[in-house]
Amino acid sequence: MESLHPRVRLLWAGRTVVSASVLLGLVVLVDRLFFSLPLELAAVGWALLVVLGTVHAAFAHRIWRFGLQDDALFLVRGVLTRRDTSVPYVRVQHVDTTRGPIERTAGLASVVVYTAGSRGADITIPGLRPERATELRERLRDLASESEATDAV
Amino acid sequence: MRRLHPRSAVRRVGRAVVQGAVFGFFVGTALAGTIGLPSWVGPALAPLGATVTGGFALVRYYRFRYAITGGTLAVESGVFARQSREIPLGRIQNVDLRQGVVNRLLGLTVVDFETAGGSTTEASLDAVAPEEADRLRRLVQRYGRDSDERDAATTETSTDEPAGSGPTEHDEVTDLFAFSWRDLLTYAVVSVRPAAPVLTLAGLPLGGDLVAAVVRFNLTLVGAEPALTPSVLDTFGPPRLVALALLTLVQFLLTALLVSVVLTVVEYYDFRLFREGDDLRYQRGLVRRYSGTIPLSKVQTVTVKENVLMRRFGLATLVVETAGYSGGNQQSAQGVAVPMAPREEVYELARDIEPFGTFEFERPPTRARRRYAFRFAFVATVLTGVGYAVDTFGLGTGFWWVLLGLFVLVPPAAHFRWRHRGFVLDDDVLATRSGFWSQTTRIVPYYRVQTVFVGRSPFQRRRDLATVTADTASTASIFGGSATVYDVDEATASDLRAELRRRLYTDLLARKRARLTASDNE
Repeated sequence: MESLHPRVRLLWAGRTVVSASVLLGLVVLVDRLFFSLPLELAAVGWALLVVLGTVHAAFAHRIWRFGLQDDALFLVRGVLTRRDTSVPYVRVQHVDTTRGPIERTAGLASVVVYTAGSRGADITIPGLRPERATELRERLRDLASESEATDAV
Repeated sequence: MRRLHPRSAVRRVGRAVVQGAVFGFFVGTALAGTIGLPSWVGPALAPLGATVTGGFALVRYYRFRYAITGGTLAVESGVFARQSREIPLGRIQNVDLRQGVVNRLLGLTVVDFETAGGSTTEASLDAVAPEEADRLRRLVQRYGRDSDERDAATTETSTDEPAGSGPTEHDEVTDLFAFSWRDLLTYAVVSVRPAAPVLTLAGLPLGGDLVAAVVRFNLTLVGAEPALTPSVLDTFGPPRLVALALLTLVQFLLTALLVSVVLTVVEYYDFRLFREGDDLRYQRGLVRRYSGTIPLSKVQTVTVKENVLMRRFGLATLVVETAGYSGGNQQSAQGVAVPMAPREEVYELARDIEPFGTFEFERPPTRARRRYAFRFAFVATVLTGVGYAVDTFGLGTGFWWVLLGLFVLVPPAAHFRWRHRGFVLDDDVLATRSGFWSQTTRIVPYYRVQTVFVGRSPFQRRRDLATVTADTASTASIFGGSATVYDVDEATASDLRAELRRRLYTDLLARKRARLTASDNE
């Protein structure tokens, strides 16, 4: 089983910082324009969110595992509710690698695996080195066509 | 390429003309009023609007063409933005025919083709003659059956062949199920949906006034001012308040029953289910007629539903799910193969669709029941807390402790939830069951499984429990209806996951081999 690149923690923590800051910005805006709010409390809230986000990111990274088993792609994730997902290769419809702007600055990429299912129709593996992502995509594509989808749905 | 039926053009153009005229009239009048144009501008713009929208509808009709050639359904449409769409017949999951009131009067039928992809109905022919609808349905049906000789089977010749193309092509049709009036009424009563229809009724323009009138009437009955303000309640003592509440409740329930029964009767009037070769065909409806085919080879999940009342009388509903229908469809009855029949009959038909043995459901371990008890107790605590707060700071009746009675319900609720959950690993299918008020049994053939999820919430982890979900391509699972095995032992969950993954491959291979030998023998 493989873990994600450690830098993904930075990415996830950075995301919390951004959303917490947006929230703080809104509070400040409301405070300036409409009615006064306890800004000290908001600052404490911001710090709390950032700490929580960082801790969550650390745990998420520690738990995240994925592996190519002989019949299926297997992933384990989730900090509070732990979920493992098995995607049989026969069921893979197509595979993408994506690199969002923030991911690009962190030098990371994601692989997205699509199935015809209705609940887990797209499964994302984030935090991969770009070369690893490309490699994984090609490997999954080969495994999917080897397993020869007789019945797409 | 064919066009839709000319009468559908008449209907569409007619409607467009009326809409355009009304729009033109109002715009004209508004313009005349605001910028001081002469007052005849309003009426004068009406014919202009009518011509524009009517003309557009007519052009749209002429631009819309369809054909079935060489195993594909091709549809061309669009006036400004043109679209051509090709759907391989083998990929069509369902063909549905429906007739609204106007179309019934005009003798027309709307044909909807559903495939597994996409978020809406993939092709809708609005509308064609019933014979043409039938011909299209048969072409798709026949294609599915003759897919080995697919090149020869479905080439539509340019000469208009008669519908169904000869008696030899017709499949033997067997009646599987029909509703008598008595069954229909029983079903309508048993499957009563309490609140929803009444709330819809109250939401209608006149519905609100109707509700207000009834409440006023109730107020006079208990001897109060028929005014709809909260202040009239101040003069009430508890007995009158209770009388008013009871009266309104009884009225609500009666209306709910009545409305629900009427809606069900309208929806399921003259329900029939046939078997035609390898397809199921249904028809139903009093005002609007629906009919359609469900190819058995494309069934993803078979679901048996029994609510409390139905269980009491040994009845059940059978739902057959394909990957065709997309989210947000308004017809609640899609996929219903048998609305209500004795349980044995329903299971017999289900076995006919997807063979399986008799089920011996394995229940979750008893510590799961303790988990449910804790959860319900938590809900009861929260409700009591809220009740206490409301009573102390608002009402001040001092009766908040009545809510403590909720705790009496906790043990039976937990027990019933536990008792009605379970799963079976059959020879060919996974069956899962859950729900006390409305029990749902989902039967998933192993070869239809897509992704397997195993989830453990913190509370489950404490008790060493896990929930296993087998995702399929069936559309019903979008609405939270996947086959889910709740709260099994961790070890059982891992076994289940391994077994599902193994059986998916073995069953797929077995099916492929069976298909190959079948085609070799021909």
